[in-house]
Amino acid sequence: MAEKGFNAYKMAQAQFDDVADKLDLDESTRELLRKPMREYHFTIPVKMDDGSAKVFQGYRVQHNDARGPCKGGIRFHPQETADTVRALAMWMTWKCAVADIPLGGGKGGVICDPHDLSDREQERLCRGWIRQISKNIGPVEDVPAPDVMTSAQHMLWMMDEYEHIEGGKYPGAITGKPVGHGGSLGRTEATGYGVIYTVREALKELEIDITKTTAAVQGFGNVAQHAVELFTEYGGKVVLVSCWDQDDSKAYSYYRKDGIDLEELRGITDRYGTVDKEKAKELGYERLPGDDWLKQDVDILIPAALENAITGDNADEIKDTVKLIAAGANGPITPEADDILEEKDMMVIPDFLCNAGGVICSYFEQVQNNMNYYWPKEEVIGKLDDKMTSAFYKVMELAKRKDIPLKDAAYMISIDKVVEACKLRGWI
Amino acid sequence: MDQEVERGNLSEEIINKSSESDELTERVKELNCLYGITEIVKDKEIPVDDALQRVVELLPPAWKYSEKTCARLSINGEEFFTENFEETPWKLVSEIKISDEVVGKVEVFYREEMPEADIGPFLKDEKRLLNAITELLSKFIEEKRVREELKKHRKESVQGEKIPTDGPSGKRDWEVIIELLMKTDPRTLLRITRKMVYHLYRTQNRKINDLLSNVCPIDRGPGDSQWCGINMPNPRQDIESLKRVQEQVFDVAKESIPSEEISSLFHRWLREDKARPLLLASQRIGIPLVEITDELNRFFETTEGSGALAPEDSLSICSALTKRFFTDRLEFINIAKKYMMVDDFVPLLKHVIGPAQGAGKLGGKASGIYLARKIIESEMEKEDILEMVDFPKSWHITSDTMMDLIQYNDLDEVIHLKYLDPNEIRQEQPFLEQIFKNAVFTAEVVEGLKRVLRDLEGKPIIVRSSSLLEDSFGAAFSGKYKSLFLANTGTEEERLNALMNAMAEVYASTLGPDPIEYRREKGLLDVNEEMGILIQEVVGERVGDYFFPAYAGVAFSRNEFRWSPRIRREDGIIRLVTGLGTRAVDRVSSDYPTLVSPNRPELRVNTLVEEQVKYSQRYMDVINLKKGIIETVDACRLIKEYGDDFPEIKNIVSLYEGDQLKRPSVLTDYHNSDSVITFAGLLKDKKFLEAMRRVLHTLEQKMDIPVDLEFASNGEKLYLLQCRPQSQSQKMERKPIPLDIKKNRKLFSANRYVTTGYVDNIEYIVYVVPEAYVQLESRNEMERVARVVSKLNQELPRRKFILMGPGRWGSKGDIKLGVPVIYRDINRTSLLIEIAREKGGYLPELSFGTHFFQDLVEANISYLPLYPDEDGTIYNEGLLTMSKNRLGDLFPEYEDMSHVVRVIRASDLIKGGTLEVVMDGEANEALAYLKPPDHWVWRMEKVHEIAKELDADFYEVEALYVLGSTKEGTAGPRSDIDIILHYKGGEEKKEKLLSWLDHKSRQIEEENKERTGFHVDNILDVHIVTDEDMEKRTSWACHIDSPYHSAREIPLD
Repeated sequence: MAEKGFNAYKMAQAQFDDVADKLDLDESTRELLRKPMREYHFTIPVKMDDGSAKVFQGYRVQHNDARGPCKGGIRFHPQETADTVRALAMWMTWKCAVADIPLGGGKGGVICDPHDLSDREQERLCRGWIRQISKNIGPVEDVPAPDVMTSAQHMLWMMDEYEHIEGGKYPGAITGKPVGHGGSLGRTEATGYGVIYTVREALKELEIDITKTTAAVQGFGNVAQHAVELFTEYGGKVVLVSCWDQDDSKAYSYYRKDGIDLEELRGITDRYGTVDKEKAKELGYERLPGDDWLKQDVDILIPAALENAITGDNADEIKDTVKLIAAGANGPITPEADDILEEKDMMVIPDFLCNAGGVICSYFEQVQNNMNYYWPKEEVIGKLDDKMTSAFYKVMELAKRKDIPLKDAAYMISIDKVVEACKLRGWI
Repeated sequence: MDQEVERGNLSEEIINKSSESDELTERVKELNCLYGITEIVKDKEIPVDDALQRVVELLPPAWKYSEKTCARLSINGEEFFTENFEETPWKLVSEIKISDEVVGKVEVFYREEMPEADIGPFLKDEKRLLNAITELLSKFIEEKRVREELKKHRKESVQGEKIPTDGPSGKRDWEVIIELLMKTDPRTLLRITRKMVYHLYRTQNRKINDLLSNVCPIDRGPGDSQWCGINMPNPRQDIESLKRVQEQVFDVAKESIPSEEISSLFHRWLREDKARPLLLASQRIGIPLVEITDELNRFFETTEGSGALAPEDSLSICSALTKRFFTDRLEFINIAKKYMMVDDFVPLLKHVIGPAQGAGKLGGKASGIYLARKIIESEMEKEDILEMVDFPKSWHITSDTMMDLIQYNDLDEVIHLKYLDPNEIRQEQPFLEQIFKNAVFTAEVVEGLKRVLRDLEGKPIIVRSSSLLEDSFGAAFSGKYKSLFLANTGTEEERLNALMNAMAEVYASTLGPDPIEYRREKGLLDVNEEMGILIQEVVGERVGDYFFPAYAGVAFSRNEFRWSPRIRREDGIIRLVTGLGTRAVDRVSSDYPTLVSPNRPELRVNTLVEEQVKYSQRYMDVINLKKGIIETVDACRLIKEYGDDFPEIKNIVSLYEGDQLKRPSVLTDYHNSDSVITFAGLLKDKKFLEAMRRVLHTLEQKMDIPVDLEFASNGEKLYLLQCRPQSQSQKMERKPIPLDIKKNRKLFSANRYVTTGYVDNIEYIVYVVPEAYVQLESRNEMERVARVVSKLNQELPRRKFILMGPGRWGSKGDIKLGVPVIYRDINRTSLLIEIAREKGGYLPELSFGTHFFQDLVEANISYLPLYPDEDGTIYNEGLLTMSKNRLGDLFPEYEDMSHVVRVIRASDLIKGGTLEVVMDGEANEALAYLKPPDHWVWRMEKVHEIAKELDADFYEVEALYVLGSTKEGTAGPRSDIDIILHYKGGEEKKEKLLSWLDHKSRQIEEENKERTGFHVDNILDVHIVTDEDMEKRTSWACHIDSPYHSAREIPLD
């Protein structure tokens, strides 16, 4: 990445500096939060299947743990750079803080390409990673989770190794485990539902009756489907969803004026999120080009699929009927687009607030693990609603009070919370 | 013996002609008679007289008017009658001969006058039957006689054992045989004698030397030249005289070899002698199918099989039969003779259909799989794992059946269609196919096909083309000729019609535009394509109305698609699907076979759960038995519907639960699970992979060539369906990537999936701009790009251009992935480049393992994937997009496509230069760079320049010659330029001339320095010769017509 001029860490620092200015933070606070508190770089020797040994580079970055144990994914990636990981760890700190869960930010991984490794080698690599870092992570220090190219299986291997070393059962040492093996119910729904909780509250703020609203959703994967589900349940009407068509390698939008029927559409969607074109037509859906999702006369847009879905180029095509945009995906709105939307006076729920349902549910997983008591799904969902709603209002309140966009408010709140924790602990 | 005597054939024929019921009755009678007689003659215990009496009594029932028939058998003066015997004028006679000597006869009489038939009142068939019977009897009597003589003699020798020396009266059994043979079969005796002579020679018996040199006079006097046998023919010895000294030969033998050994030698030789007719028949070129079949059957019925063959005869017959039915290619025969036995041909030929009198072969596909089968079968003894390998029931239609069909229907004009313009062929193809479909097969072929259908009843079948060209010219016709599935359901007539219909279609495909184009390119157009057909039972299980194999696919012993550097080419690769293997063979847009490295199965292409789910097989090809068609169905739906009834289900799918893929268990409810085809169970089990690995390794090793296999499994056995050389295997020389190329001359580089190769002298680059291509808004426009490429392919000089384009060349359904060309649209390029611009880390599946790819390899078209976004690669987009586009000059009508298709001339990028691409598979690196004209080319240009600029009249220069490295084409960057000037002027002018040349030299030096960076002093090395020199060829003039370092004259302007 560095060669191409873009550096995620520098960008994250710039973003922090910007907010720090707004919060008028002192130099030592800036100094502390601009950098990770701890970084572990270590080697992981792995015996390969053919008997040879190979040494991998592993690392864990703990950006800040003032509010609680660090939380963040483990990435297996061949072209990982330390700077990317530092940036991601920092973002985790802010994300946990805005969701108001008692966790800090971390990130880690191994420089490797899992495509070159057999399952057995990957298992040894996971266990090797834990052996090197077990002293510095754990349920009360730093809790890893799956991320790029790591899965629930990797997490289970890691948890198992951690428990071997510690000599006890510590399911809360790692999250992202399957249900029945320490995982939490409601995780599938968490992100999509979380998006709608923020939408619901935002509409209240805008004094719009949710039952009279229409929405267009980009995407028809897990997040989008659950968002549609809950939105419809609340009485809203989704008139369009877009999806990637694997056969044609292009996106299509499916539109029905009277609103889409989620169950009906799910029935003709394969597990890759591709809707059957013919059957959709039979059911009265109009097939439009993929980009048409943002050109609809609707009240709400929910980009829940890709990065950079709304850009400086297409933000102008958004109809004036739109009052609210909920960023369900990661980074769906570019900074230029943000500016245009602000001018258009559309409310934008920022991604790290809007899709925080996922990390909140990870936190719940950890909590349940530590109690060794598992909640029914309704309880998880109910608690999620509470968390999302109160997080949203904290941000909303500040935004209104200071008359700033939600995004700025969200950053300011989260950084302020971290600063406060550091100060109260007497660090700075 | 006539062919009908062979029982199997006879009964077939009887059934086949069931309509003619009269005839049938007659033939059944005949059959019974022959049965009876065969039983009698086989019985070794029965005394001769009894046997003959019983034979005679069996005769009348076989005749049409049995009641009125009587018979007499006379032999060596003895006579045997039927009870009702009476001599009448209405008789049929056949003589019993032993070694051409008449020893008796069999007569059949009608006791009353009967209606006139073929031969008097008798039928032709009856005459034939009688001949067959006497022939049987001749053999029987001969054997009986020899056996009795031997028995008698053995008794004597048992008594004689006490006295080891041979008494004058105590004859050895072999001596009896000699006596017998002298009387009855002197030719056989002579052969035996020769064998004895060889044997004696082999044991270096001096006496035999002496004997032969004494009795076989040498034509010319011996010793008249020591050059004999070196540069002069050896003198001829009159071996004919051997006949005269047969007895002496055996005397020598008797003296030097123990009698028991001679006896056993004799037995062996006599036994081996029975193979003579087969040996002779097998050597006859183009022996008709029916004759060689008969000869083989006869041999195996009358002897104890191949045990009776001398090893050299066995090899000789085997290689002759291999040539006759498989191929003339020596490489094949050399391997085949190690694994094929003469016995193998008996069951094989039972499964061969074709014109009885024809000499057709079985074709490449049939040869490949048959040899593979023999190799695997022989290895099974050593490797237990190979026991799970099997081969489907197969039938073969000989290659001449097609010509037979053409001639029988007067369609000979179709053969000449191949000389038409390809476009015309394309237009005529549908009509041609109908012509073939309406043609009538000859009765004998139809009868054969009925046999096939009876054998394969209840199983779907596949009709595969088995081309002779494919085999013998190393050309891959795969995918150009058709292979057709048949459900093989319905009445026998319906099934027969379907089969003939499919065969006709396969035949018509021989003359299709694509194969013709390919043959034209390969220079094979004038060879008449003869197409054998291989009919195989489809491996699989019935599930509901569907029929399909649990899993199937293709396997290559060399992996040319390595997704990890830890996978070696030698590890091989398998493309695995559930259902029919068609989905693994063909490239199917937006569906994925599972790719497995049999040596490193744990290194998967897709490691992440979501990847595994996304890049898994979604559809499967199955035969719908109810509708009688092949169908593509949603695999997941089929699994949900049939659950545990789906063959091998637990080894094929994983369950997608949450974010995990789990192996199914006994408790799994497939109807309510989300199944993903991963083959996790199959690959974990090791048995399949171990077998596959052994098969690939064994076949590659034994056939001495990397192989490409098609396979299918019903869950229990692994069936091999096809085996052919993996064409990639040509050993291409590795050329290292040049290190001294200036940066601005590099066009692109690659460091992934590079296969070894080298293309040079590229004049044009055809570049389909990826960004512009994906932005095309309609399918129509994308197809237009394909048409432009096709046009360019025709127009640009062959193998002097490269094609660069986005994604997968030859995409079909989803053409956004790549330009939808077919092979003939690109067949003249020298290098096909696929540019994969990364989109969200997605690695596009490369055009690998498909027919298209093999075409490229066969045509020596190199293939290279480019990943411009990869670190460390060079991709000089500027050169590609900014240079002059020649498309409009070539095709003004396509000028509007200039933003998508760019035609770049290498010499526009570097003056007079070309493009060169070096690909080093070992190092996994490739580099394309612009190459200035060669040093010698440039120097030669300079010489021409001098010739042009030099005022020859003024300077009195008669002629200019060039020699040395410039002329030889070996000049390097520091070479000088040697020229000879034939100068006629005086000294003063010479000074001026030299000064002019000196000036010119300095100019050239400068240019050279600019080009190469080297300074060469006095680059122009001028040698002046005079008239005198020229006349006497002295000084440098001697080079002018020297055979070693000749100079070339450059015309002066």
